[in-house]
Amino acid sequence: MPDAPAPSLRPAPAAMAVAEGPLPSGADEYDVAIVGGGVNGTGVARDLALRGLRVVLFERNDLAFGASGNSSGMIHGGVRYLSSAPHVTEQSCRDSGYIQRIAPHLLFRMPFLMPVKSSRQARVMFELIDAYFRAYDDYQPLKHGKPHCRLDPGELARLEPGLRGSIVGGITFDEWGIDGARLCVLNALDAIEHGGRVYVHSTVEAISRAGGGKTAAEGARYVVDARDRQTQERLRVRARVVVNATGAWSPITAAAGALPQERVRVRPGKGIHVVVDRRVTNYGIVSETIDGRQIFIYPWQNVSILGTTDDDYYGDLDDVHATSEEVRYLVQGVARVFPSVRSARAIGTYAGVRPTLYSYGPNEDALSREHEVVDHAADGAPGVYSMIGGKLASYRIFAQELSDVVAAREFDSTTPCSTHERPLPGGERVPDAIPLAERYAVTPVAARRLVYRHGALALRVLERAARRPVERDVTCPCEPVLEAEVRHVVREELARTVEDVSRRTRLGLGACGGMRCAARCGQIVAEERGLGPREGLTMAREFLVKQGRSRVVAMGPEQARQEALALAHLRASMGET
Amino acid sequence: MGGGVAGTSAALAAARGGARVVLLDGGTGASTLSTGAIDDAPWAHASRPVEPLSGAARALLDALAAYTLPETGARIATTAGILRPARGHDLALLDLAPLAGRRVGVVRCDRPEWDAGALARAWGDGLVPLEATVLRHVDERLLPSADFAARHDDEARLAWLADRLRDALTRAGARFDALILPPSLGVDTARARALSTLVGLPCGEAAASPGGPSGLRFERARDRALAAAGVTRTAARAVRVERRGDRGYVGLAEGPALEATAVVLAVGGLVGGGLAYSPGDAAEASVLPPASLPPFRLTIDVPAARLGARGRPLEIPGSLFGIPPESLAWPFTTDATMDRVGVLVDADGRAAPGLYAAGETVADAPRTWLRALESGARAGSAAARDALTSPLERPSSPSAEPASRP
Repeated sequence: MPDAPAPSLRPAPAAMAVAEGPLPSGADEYDVAIVGGGVNGTGVARDLALRGLRVVLFERNDLAFGASGNSSGMIHGGVRYLSSAPHVTEQSCRDSGYIQRIAPHLLFRMPFLMPVKSSRQARVMFELIDAYFRAYDDYQPLKHGKPHCRLDPGELARLEPGLRGSIVGGITFDEWGIDGARLCVLNALDAIEHGGRVYVHSTVEAISRAGGGKTAAEGARYVVDARDRQTQERLRVRARVVVNATGAWSPITAAAGALPQERVRVRPGKGIHVVVDRRVTNYGIVSETIDGRQIFIYPWQNVSILGTTDDDYYGDLDDVHATSEEVRYLVQGVARVFPSVRSARAIGTYAGVRPTLYSYGPNEDALSREHEVVDHAADGAPGVYSMIGGKLASYRIFAQELSDVVAAREFDSTTPCSTHERPLPGGERVPDAIPLAERYAVTPVAARRLVYRHGALALRVLERAARRPVERDVTCPCEPVLEAEVRHVVREELARTVEDVSRRTRLGLGACGGMRCAARCGQIVAEERGLGPREGLTMAREFLVKQGRSRVVAMGPEQARQEALALAHLRASMGET
Repeated sequence: MGGGVAGTSAALAAARGGARVVLLDGGTGASTLSTGAIDDAPWAHASRPVEPLSGAARALLDALAAYTLPETGARIATTAGILRPARGHDLALLDLAPLAGRRVGVVRCDRPEWDAGALARAWGDGLVPLEATVLRHVDERLLPSADFAARHDDEARLAWLADRLRDALTRAGARFDALILPPSLGVDTARARALSTLVGLPCGEAAASPGGPSGLRFERARDRALAAAGVTRTAARAVRVERRGDRGYVGLAEGPALEATAVVLAVGGLVGGGLAYSPGDAAEASVLPPASLPPFRLTIDVPAARLGARGRPLEIPGSLFGIPPESLAWPFTTDATMDRVGVLVDADGRAAPGLYAAGETVADAPRTWLRALESGARAGSAAARDALTSPLERPSSPSAEPASRP
């Protein structure tokens, strides 16, 4: 919580309204309605569903549309909290170990190098950093990490020949990478597997009292009205408990329930990342921006990523994108220790908004990354909770904390949390991709990427392709993505658009920017959803335009040629620009 | 300079004008990526009045003997699932304009980008999938489309395909008025007419994604037309063009420089590699990037050529870090500078005395196949006039000039 009460955003809202019109039938009655399909919302949905509660989740855009799908893609151990709050570091490391246990296919080791540049205090600084990471080593076993190493300049140069500048030495440290979007999807799928219901592209427009004076023990207290933003269909459910897990959108969601916005106020912090077309470094490398902030370049899946910025954000949360100024700021910072990044080919950017806990005054980097549960009983809305703050790496423990409160306080449930033990879908085991490639006649690269994304469920996709050999076709050659996987994520993973497919499979995020796959993907999505071909093409165009915006801000000489070609292709084959 | 549509057109026009011509080809460019549908105006602007093709340009199109311009335009199917208007097309493509309301079979073929059912639905009424066996060997399922198309240059293979299609039509038991196939009908020449004769129905391709067989068919047609016109095509990359008195000199990456009365720059735009985007922050610089340069440059050193857009020269950016790309490129801006930048020329395509530009090298020119042909014809004709009216004695052949190396 902030030290001082936050100033009110607006005059005190009216009390929550009583729902008008016909109430939904029993079939649409749930124990818990969750608003928000990011990692916190889907994490809570899974946790409560595993405890036997009936949950329903509404997501305004797509799963992982916001910060969860646009993070640095790391489950880190909270090294920055080591001196101020070592219990947070311990908790983060322990939870990293749990996430490795439940989704082993989705995590990959990310070793980092932290070079120490020459300066007057460099030697002292080097010793302090070494000591700091020696302390961090104590927690590494919790997350199966390796202890840090101290390196001299020669050793650093051998490990990462692209490092430049006067360096007195450096250290290694060990973290884990993850695909945040897939983490959200898997949590949502497991919630569905355990009886939950998930509505994507459905915005909650009102949260009202159900009327009748019922208590929690007697039945539903709240009515949640939502609207499908694509079909305009209206949805109405009843629930005993409502959870606001909408991240940076939290005050907007609170307003839909006439709850005081200042109770859930966040300080939205925009962070962008730049994507380079291949793994240009062997290790993640820590560098410093012109204003002294710590940033990274690191290999991540089949690309490299530069990140990140942290700036107060005042724009549209549904349309967050990087600017060329932010890109230049990051590239300048990384080039300080790794100058050849300037000649690397940037193929895109992505941007998200952190739901940082509100505080007026500190600069962005000094803001707390803690999380908190807000109980709106004090606002006259018992059974309504908000999840504020947090980060990808701590999603599971945050979801557990909220679920423990809800289960005990609202449902007298003593069923313990099991999300740290039960594997996420596909996480039961990680099949060996190479024999799968041979058995199912797909390329080894396609099989490896498929296993990375789906774990044991890759077999389900491959069996589908075996039944329909035409679905072995590679729809996206850059990633690569098989047609069978595109159809799978539409049928099984709630994808509704080309962009949704991309979020789940990385289709269209490679060097060609979707030029070779968007139209075909649109055809497949339209066919699977029973839509007309024109709608498929519209989705493809929308995706290409959005991707074009994400690329142009980072455009260098080589990418400029690709942009001109992509535009010519769009004009020649699809007809609109 | 340049072996694409504009360069070929300029070379043929100059040769027809009586000049002795050498065409320097630095490698594949945008023309090799053409899809087979040829446009006058960009498709998005297709409702604009179409500029009639000049007699000279039409004659050059005829000389290529690989394209057709139907009087009322064409309607071409793309593998993205669109029926698009086009001014004309590569002879391998099926024009659906005269087949409106007729039943056209979309031949099933188990290849990427070709889902006959989905494409038939996307293209609309009258197009229906036709079950057929058109792959003869296992490797053809994943063979690049240009390689697959090359197999149908062989007469026997084409006859085999025709047999399979006739069998398919018999099995279907329904009447079809035409057949549309994936990009596959020849590389050396368009085989659509020969196949149509063998099958007894109009047959042709859908337009491919960039990099399909149509670009290769252009190259073959170009080589035949240049040979017939007596124009030498030399694989060489020019690095510098300069003027000394009444003569132009072209420095090459390898070998002696060439001397010529007139030079036509048809080296392409951003796609073809004639122009490059040079943002200030792309340079290796630890303090400040060189911000005093415009964000585009010619990849060949041509001091006499000025780059511009919208009729004005490019300006030095008012930023320490170069112009933000958002202000230069689609989709942040339509009618973007990146889409218009090129060499500033007059109505004849003249950038400076004895120096011409054509195709996508030219500022503000529509980036279309027929405008490249037209501007090449205009520049080539003007260059030939320069050559024929030059007071200097004509060189007997492109001659060595060692001083002009960069």
